[in-house]
Amino acid sequence: MLHFSRWKITLILGAIMVGLLFAMPNVMSKDVREGLPWPLPKQTLNLGLDLQGGAHLLLEVDLKDGVEKTLKSELAGMRAALREERISATLRIKDEAFFVTFKNDADAETGAPIIRKQSVPVDANAIGGGGKTLDIEKLDEHRYKITVSEENIQYISDRTIEQSIQVLRKRIDPTGTTEMTLAKEGSERILLQVPGAKDVDELKARIAKTAKLGFHEVEVADSVVLQLCVEDGQCPLGKVAYPQRNGQGYMMVLDREIVTGADLKSASEGLHPQNNYPIVNFKYNARGARKFCDFTATHVGEPFAVVLDGEIITAPNINGAICGGSGFIEGSFTMESAKELSLLLNAGALPAKLDIAEERTVGPELGADSIQAGKIASMLGLGGVFIFMWITYGLRFGTFANIALATNIILIGGALSLLGATLTLPGIAGIILTIGMAVDANVLIFERIREETSNGRGPINAIDTGYRLSLAPILDANITTLIAALTLYFVGSGPIRGFAVTLSIGIVMSVFTAVVVARLMTSTWLRRARPKKLPI
Amino acid sequence: MFDISLVRHLPKDTTVPFIKVRLIAMVLSILAIIASIFLFTTKNLNYGLDFKGGTVWEFHLTESPTDADLTAIRALGPQLNLGELAIQTIGQTDKDKVQAIRLSVSKQEALEGDENDDRAQQVALRSIQAAVVEMYPEVDNTENTLSVQVLGTKVSGELKRKGAMAVVLALMMVLLYIWFRFEWQFGLGAVIALAHDVILTIGVFSLTALEFNLAIVAAILTIVGYSLNDTVIVYDRIRENLRKFKKKPLDDVLNLSINDTLSRTIMTSMTTLLALTALYIWGGPGLNGFAFAMIWGVFVGTYSSIFVAAPVLLLLGVNRAGPQK
Repeated sequence: MLHFSRWKITLILGAIMVGLLFAMPNVMSKDVREGLPWPLPKQTLNLGLDLQGGAHLLLEVDLKDGVEKTLKSELAGMRAALREERISATLRIKDEAFFVTFKNDADAETGAPIIRKQSVPVDANAIGGGGKTLDIEKLDEHRYKITVSEENIQYISDRTIEQSIQVLRKRIDPTGTTEMTLAKEGSERILLQVPGAKDVDELKARIAKTAKLGFHEVEVADSVVLQLCVEDGQCPLGKVAYPQRNGQGYMMVLDREIVTGADLKSASEGLHPQNNYPIVNFKYNARGARKFCDFTATHVGEPFAVVLDGEIITAPNINGAICGGSGFIEGSFTMESAKELSLLLNAGALPAKLDIAEERTVGPELGADSIQAGKIASMLGLGGVFIFMWITYGLRFGTFANIALATNIILIGGALSLLGATLTLPGIAGIILTIGMAVDANVLIFERIREETSNGRGPINAIDTGYRLSLAPILDANITTLIAALTLYFVGSGPIRGFAVTLSIGIVMSVFTAVVVARLMTSTWLRRARPKKLPI
Repeated sequence: MFDISLVRHLPKDTTVPFIKVRLIAMVLSILAIIASIFLFTTKNLNYGLDFKGGTVWEFHLTESPTDADLTAIRALGPQLNLGELAIQTIGQTDKDKVQAIRLSVSKQEALEGDENDDRAQQVALRSIQAAVVEMYPEVDNTENTLSVQVLGTKVSGELKRKGAMAVVLALMMVLLYIWFRFEWQFGLGAVIALAHDVILTIGVFSLTALEFNLAIVAAILTIVGYSLNDTVIVYDRIRENLRKFKKKPLDDVLNLSINDTLSRTIMTSMTTLLALTALYIWGGPGLNGFAFAMIWGVFVGTYSSIFVAAPVLLLLGVNRAGPQK
């Protein structure tokens, strides 16, 4: 156990050097760090949001809405397909399915294949064909139950989340310069982390708005019809009522938009040419310009409504055909809100509503306090353990253990930097805990050496036996602790994972430093000093 | 050379009759377990935001809050229809800094299980922030906020499930590992000792009504790791001594093994406690609960390795004919 070949020594020292190189940038000032010559690593530990301050938001995507919309459009498609073949059937939506009931046997016979044909592969490019979009269940001779298939729901959900992430990225970071994390989390959530975010309220406002913009044809309705629609939800087919921003009650409009936010090319805030109040200027894309031109040409003298997220922000009259491909929205904006709306319009509408399921915001002040407290606690903890080990095992073996411990801390720092791991507040706790627990392996070895000495073995023999017999219990004890730490990593979330990471790395490094590094020191000392009696 | 090396003056071959007092220890442990379970079922735990959901806002005024301030802020709860507000001041280690206020809006009964629970929480946060800013115009939402935490029912429920799962999963994996490395009696003994530690830790949190959050679950898992570390060291020595002293009665072998490893047990507990005490005193309010749980865990874990894990082997019996490994 005490012999080290030359290449082994080189390897051990090399490993420590690499650890040191990766750990070093963490204690350098920024200028020194930036000035490091090429091959030297510059990266430092990533600080978690709880340490550097910032916003952590877990957003829940409302996926039901998308599935419902798909169901509705599938129903419309099927109705059209059946009508084309002149098959009489009634289609009714109920809960998360719709039912097709054929009039008679003949219709059922010709209709069934048409229904089946509506279910197409979810993803035409998928290898092996993938699943179909619809599940079709035959209830009896004339009745079919149709639901959106599991695969399709999955596909819609994935796409919705994907699109939401893209829109959010454009909204929160229009210039592409903000450092942030935006990623899918689980099956229906999006994780958004913005380090150092100052104005969380503004951030939340950008998430909360769907920014669904649409120009609608206004339908003149008498007050009874309007009231029935608003209060009981019994609206005439294809029409809806929205509240007006100016507070003048509800207005009825056609459900179908003339143009939508998707037909816009760009938007920007500006001032009204005559009255000098804030407005939002926009440009249509080619398709939008044509559609709006056609509409305004045929509806001169009538009003149209600009609807944003279920609210009519303005309803101007059409004075003549508008074919220039641009226009503006006025609606009692402030300069701020006009700017905000143009940003949202440029980023596009969210495909689904987002709810904040979890918010953890930490101000920079608190984060700095936590780091400070962590530094003090680890320094004092480390100092305490150092002194304890010196007093207990004397300067010789105490120093061996303490150098091993110091190496351990350096290696943890190096490994965390190398892995690009994130240091969190619980992660600091993990490091401090490691400081206390890491000497365990050395204590175990030293105690064994003492025991073997009292059994009458000479120094070299006692140390050799001590290391040899301690190896199995050290490995067993640390592997079991590692199991607990790894379980925590895979089941835990957020900052707790940081704890699991530092603890796991600490455990692995403590075994290396105690069993390998301290043994190297002991054997070197033994060879040089050839002691007759051990100082422990 | 000035060299103390206290360890030389420690007794080398201790013969503390640990196994003799095993019945007393057993009664003590069983009573403590019963008390813990009783406390848990009657008083439950003081679940933190992580597991309960709700809204917590930590902020500071320009000066340390007076009692009048706290009363006024507390009154906002009923005024805004948010129910009872929990309010406390957070001490600052730094004397120059003003004390911060920790304001918790408990989740209203009406919101329980509501689909829009998440949205309602956000509305509650906004209204309470607006009200405080109106009362203290010098307070700025951004500048004066230390932290905000809002958790909906769904996420907190998941965290609770996952936390419980983590503990159970860890215990099972450990059982498998020890079984593989030793024999089944050892695996079962270790898990009984660990379950003992986990139950007593939950018991102490129920008793003290300290906040039980995700960090405490992490602490419990670490206690499992630490206690196991201790247990494995003792077990390893038992295995070795069983081979060495084939004729010795089992209880003597157990006692000898505990004594053999005693000095190591004490040393490691000491260094771990040293580090944890530093964490408890200077680590800041965020890690206080964790440090407390761990300190408790070091004591319980050490106790259980000696007084639970080893004596359990006496009850289960060990196959002495030929321990394979």
